[in-house]
Amino acid sequence: MRRVAVIGVGVTKFGRHERSSAELFAEAAGDALVDAGLPPSAVQALYYGNVVGSETEKQLHTGPQAASVLGIPTVPTTRFETACASSHAAFRHAVMEIGAGVSDVVLVGGAERVLNVTTEESTEYFAYASDARWEQTLGLTFPGVFALVARAHMAKYGTTEAQMAAVAVKNHKHGIHNPKAQFQKAITLEQVLKSPMVADPLKLYDCCPFTDGGAAVVLASEEVARKARRPIWVLASAAASDWMLIGDKRDLSRVPATERAAASAYQQAGLGPQDVDVVELHDCFTIAEIVATEGLGLFEPGTGGIAAEKGWTSVGGKMPVNPSGGLKAKGHPIGATGAAQIAEIVTQLRDDAGPRQVDGARVGLTHTLGGNTATVLVSLFGRD
Amino acid sequence: MTEPAISQRVFFEKAGAGELTAIRCQRCHALSIPPREFCPSCGERAWQPVPLSGEGTIASYTVIRVAPRGHANDAPYAIAAVQLKEGVSLLGRLMDIPLDRLAIGLPVRFRPFTRGGQMAVGFGPA
Repeated sequence: MRRVAVIGVGVTKFGRHERSSAELFAEAAGDALVDAGLPPSAVQALYYGNVVGSETEKQLHTGPQAASVLGIPTVPTTRFETACASSHAAFRHAVMEIGAGVSDVVLVGGAERVLNVTTEESTEYFAYASDARWEQTLGLTFPGVFALVARAHMAKYGTTEAQMAAVAVKNHKHGIHNPKAQFQKAITLEQVLKSPMVADPLKLYDCCPFTDGGAAVVLASEEVARKARRPIWVLASAAASDWMLIGDKRDLSRVPATERAAASAYQQAGLGPQDVDVVELHDCFTIAEIVATEGLGLFEPGTGGIAAEKGWTSVGGKMPVNPSGGLKAKGHPIGATGAAQIAEIVTQLRDDAGPRQVDGARVGLTHTLGGNTATVLVSLFGRD
Repeated sequence: MTEPAISQRVFFEKAGAGELTAIRCQRCHALSIPPREFCPSCGERAWQPVPLSGEGTIASYTVIRVAPRGHANDAPYAIAAVQLKEGVSLLGRLMDIPLDRLAIGLPVRFRPFTRGGQMAVGFGPA
């Protein structure tokens, strides 16, 4: 396989927008192409993530729609849907397309629009990523899925609600320094613990928000990337799946797909968790960050909560996690999230993250989880 | 071409009549909840339906307070992953168990749960 680099990144402001998801993507992609120093005509394919567009915007066929609004209507497009991991799955396939020598420049990204519908509606649409016959009929929600994980983790390891709250406090603290974040404000442990219960034991401030937004990255072959200003190399990109039904998952305190995707990515790159300097991971809920840090091998099983509480995962700590503010503070436009995480890691490895910069970061990792823990993508990045 | 040992539709028809059914691999004897084409343990494609007792214990649980449309009138309601005594697990709606009595390890028993005319898996007191 040929080497592949990210040569341009772009992210919209995350939050509430009065624009379509295609428009949000086009803004991010335009910025990414400017960052890459390439004209739109250089793009040979678009790999696109969008999840609930068929519900919130009554829109399918979002790939060519996004390409048309961007102004590159004739490139081949494919829409990826792996729930919240969609644009990270799109990224992995684009890496393979360039790696295989099919294309030299591929645009990857995603966008989502959800704040134009009510919370009840969006809660229902997100729940479509769990099984229609077996689980949606029970009134299972996504906070509910991770509440089951949280209870299991608490019972097995003694993880506390205060440790989970520490993740939210830390990610909000990081988000203050991210001008693209939905929330640029600090919160206290007490505010998290006293916020209204959504799905016991997860409270409102344990949950990421609903978000509109877009993100894009430009991928290039080594030959093209060598002419770019600041290429960041893709060292690995791996995917793993797990059982769809919660009932079929053997140990709810773990996410085996994270463990498998991480093992595959570390093997591809010839690296281990000890080599990683900065991480953007899928903190859709505070417990999700704790379980992900353990599944990625950054901390021993059962110690992810302690790591958050002790500040080990803060910028300045020994293993900084989610310097962007994470899904929790930056926001979670589900189709865009994977690309936005990659954009942050690229920014970090370019030493371009300003007050949220992780000093001396040379190797970065992105981790994106789809829905009910049945999809996980893990990618590794490095600079020259 | 082989007919499934038990389809999803038949599973829920039987469950609606109070009977939970699993499928057992004819080669390695692993137990699964249908529908399943291949045995995930040994790769065999031959299953035998077997009745389940419906008895189990709560492996994890939550109380949903922000509900999707269609379930909003039920909130708050509890959902649990239940480990059945035969070894397989099912997610189900909990019924007639006070929310403050919920605990991992609590014994429960299967019963059908119906909402909006559709039957799903539920559990009540053992």
